[in-house]
Amino acid sequence: MDFLDISSQVLFGQLLVGLINGAFYAMLSLGLAIIFGLLVVVNMTHGAQYMMGAFCAWLLLRYAGIGYWGALVIAPIVVGLFGIVLERLFFRHIYKLDHLYGLLLTFGLTLIIEGLFRNEFGTAGQPYDIPAALQGGTNLGFMFLPNYRIWVIFASVVVCFGTWLLIERTKLGAYLRAATENATLVRAFGVNVPRMIMLTYGFGVALAGLAGVMAAPIYQVSPMMGNNIMIVVFAVVVIGGMGSIMGSILTGFGLGLVEGLTKVFYPEASTTVLFVIMIIVLMVRPSGLFGRMSTDRAALNASIASVSGAVNWSKTTKMALSTVAIGAVIIAPAVFYPVFLMKAMCFALFACSLNLLVGYAGLLSFGHAAYFGTGAYIAAHAVKEWGVTPEIGILLGVLATALLGTVFGWLAIRRQGIYFAMVTLALAQLIYFIALQAPFTHGEDGIQSVPRGHLFGLIDLNDTMTLYFVVLAIFLGCLFLIWRTVNSPFGNILKAIRESEPRVVSLGYNVPRHKLLAFILSASLAGLAGSLKAIVFQLAALPDLHWSMSGEVVLMLLLGGVGTLFGPIVGAVVIVAMQSYLAEFGSWVMIIQGGIFVLCIMTFRRGIVGELIVRLRSQDKPAAAAAQQVLHTA
Amino acid sequence: MLDRVANADFCLRIRDLNAWYGESHILQGMSFDVAEGEVVTLLGRNGAGKTTTVRAIMGIVGRRTGSVSINGTETITSMPEVVARTGIGYCPEDRGIFASLTVEENMLLPPVVRPGGMAVEEIYRYFPNLKERRKSAGNLLSGGEQQMLAIGRILRTGAKILLLDEPTEGLAPVIVQQIAAVLRMLKERGFTILLVEQNFHFASTVADRHYLVEHGRVVGSYRNDEINQHQDELKERLGV
Repeated sequence: MDFLDISSQVLFGQLLVGLINGAFYAMLSLGLAIIFGLLVVVNMTHGAQYMMGAFCAWLLLRYAGIGYWGALVIAPIVVGLFGIVLERLFFRHIYKLDHLYGLLLTFGLTLIIEGLFRNEFGTAGQPYDIPAALQGGTNLGFMFLPNYRIWVIFASVVVCFGTWLLIERTKLGAYLRAATENATLVRAFGVNVPRMIMLTYGFGVALAGLAGVMAAPIYQVSPMMGNNIMIVVFAVVVIGGMGSIMGSILTGFGLGLVEGLTKVFYPEASTTVLFVIMIIVLMVRPSGLFGRMSTDRAALNASIASVSGAVNWSKTTKMALSTVAIGAVIIAPAVFYPVFLMKAMCFALFACSLNLLVGYAGLLSFGHAAYFGTGAYIAAHAVKEWGVTPEIGILLGVLATALLGTVFGWLAIRRQGIYFAMVTLALAQLIYFIALQAPFTHGEDGIQSVPRGHLFGLIDLNDTMTLYFVVLAIFLGCLFLIWRTVNSPFGNILKAIRESEPRVVSLGYNVPRHKLLAFILSASLAGLAGSLKAIVFQLAALPDLHWSMSGEVVLMLLLGGVGTLFGPIVGAVVIVAMQSYLAEFGSWVMIIQGGIFVLCIMTFRRGIVGELIVRLRSQDKPAAAAAQQVLHTA
Repeated sequence: MLDRVANADFCLRIRDLNAWYGESHILQGMSFDVAEGEVVTLLGRNGAGKTTTVRAIMGIVGRRTGSVSINGTETITSMPEVVARTGIGYCPEDRGIFASLTVEENMLLPPVVRPGGMAVEEIYRYFPNLKERRKSAGNLLSGGEQQMLAIGRILRTGAKILLLDEPTEGLAPVIVQQIAAVLRMLKERGFTILLVEQNFHFASTVADRHYLVEHGRVVGSYRNDEINQHQDELKERLGV
């Protein structure tokens, strides 16, 4: 029995695979939706907890001789308990903050957890056998049906439907739904909501752990297994909307099927089809298939606190500091490796570009690597394959990213808050997958041996010192551009949008247009940074586009100080320096970066430069500072 | 921890209650008493601090200092869920009906904090509309029905002290009369009620005593039978 030249074996085989994937998408997005509903925290650690469930099963088998069936019970409990510990230690203290911080905190925790596992177990996957009772399968004629696959589908439907029943039809679920709507009032009735929150997080995480155990025999047990699936789950969540439990389940299964079908009829698109669907849904129905904008807190405006204003230094102090700074950057190559300095400048520019969007417009882009990497690849290709001079290469890189920024920005701006961040992440992942497959990027090798060439046909960039000063000139030029933009009327409107978007709308400004312009500017500068990096390091490779690069630049921003002019520079220098020193320690870089993330979110939200500004400002005017003291201690 | 304060005649004893929302100092030393079985109102203009007082008693404001003594137990440092379990029921200004729950789920949600609460069937007898619509989603009710539900659901919990924040706000006069009748019934059954109201005519039909609140402080105290003598003064101070 054939259909459109495709054998029924292949068709139903892939549909089965799709349904299996869908089962995991459903279970994971269900957990995410439950956790977000009550805690208003996007649990990016979900992928890591899914991985922990799988590892728990593997470890139980290896060291305790406990098989699959025992693991199905024990692993979710272990992972759930771990989740409860996380909630008590970390999340409890950040509920009062803007919910973007939750996203960043869980991102940091993910880095720590995955880094630790990677350190211990390496990146290769460990196999886990299908339990004896479920091995083998039946031949239905039109397809072969493995027993284990059927079990996974059956079990996940039971789990999903059971959870839905628990939430929608029981008293416990009524408490959960009520607390999701108005936690304070439920407390005022005498319900211990903090404890409920802790247990709910544990439950959501246990669901992830359970999914992990079920996944172990199908996918290999590896420390990175969570990442690969999590970004897809984000796309699923954006498509379905986080407001509805049943919506998450249906979207998860449905999209898994769609992915399976795509693999049959158009295999090259199978990794990207979900992101394409996400784009379509964003254009046609921004609140998601099952979303209701009015009740969806993920759709609310969210922003990271920026330290506003500047220190009031006297003119002489400013002159002195400027002279020192200029002197420093001129003699710096004599003290530090010029290549290190250039790397720092490229990343500092990258961080500054993100700062424009996050710190001044209040839009957290979690996929900025897309522009950095695109700039790198386009410039590298232009200089190497088309033989243009470096400045043309950089220009082309900037133009390409400006175009990309226009399209992606227009799409992303249709959502706000958490969804905006997720959309940017998913769109960046789309670019990553395209780059992985496109011929001109040479896949894993990247574009190597990019010639440095002669700037304007005259200046030889192969001389390191010359290159240093060219990069410095471009860097200072861009810094000046950013400074002018931020202090212009346009910049002021952006800051106003960050503070209170409705008010800016009521004043008659076209807010989406301003946001889009900020996005395009930010993307172009990131592209410039990437193009520059490609020429300096003579390499454009996949890591430039990876989500970890997006996360790293957010970390630089957070560490240095969001919304300050020099914060991103300081943050970039620190992170680049740290990477150079710790390069030999492999996974520890990831763990330490995660640790810095967590530390910054919990105790150091203003960042290095932010803290400096606040402290210097309080020394400015003793009377005002004393008044501030009184207000804060009252 | 929980101190026993002398003079347990007073169900609710508030002394020098200060409360802040962030850096805004809303309550600046509220002090008043509510005896067992009394119906007492807090009268005042918009922004006087009446709602904040009730929220401060329940422990759901940002920061509070002073003394809140419920049935002799000091609760100024207690979490809201502990305050509720001292036997106090709260009906917020916005009614707080949960949209994702049905009327019946709303009714059954607040846990029982004291024995002797009214049975659901009995509550439905006072609010027949709610029984008819018990499978509807909470937010599909009219304003008056929502208010009935908000009051009805705390009657099941066994709480004998009720905090009602502007129960007649935005309701049609005929519904207001129904609510007044309900409050009188509750008073007859021995409930202690602290009522926040801007409408002092309504307040005078149900209350025993009134406190006038201005700028986060009690600036006047009247028995219900004296309120007519002070009508002009009150109208001036409560008027816009």
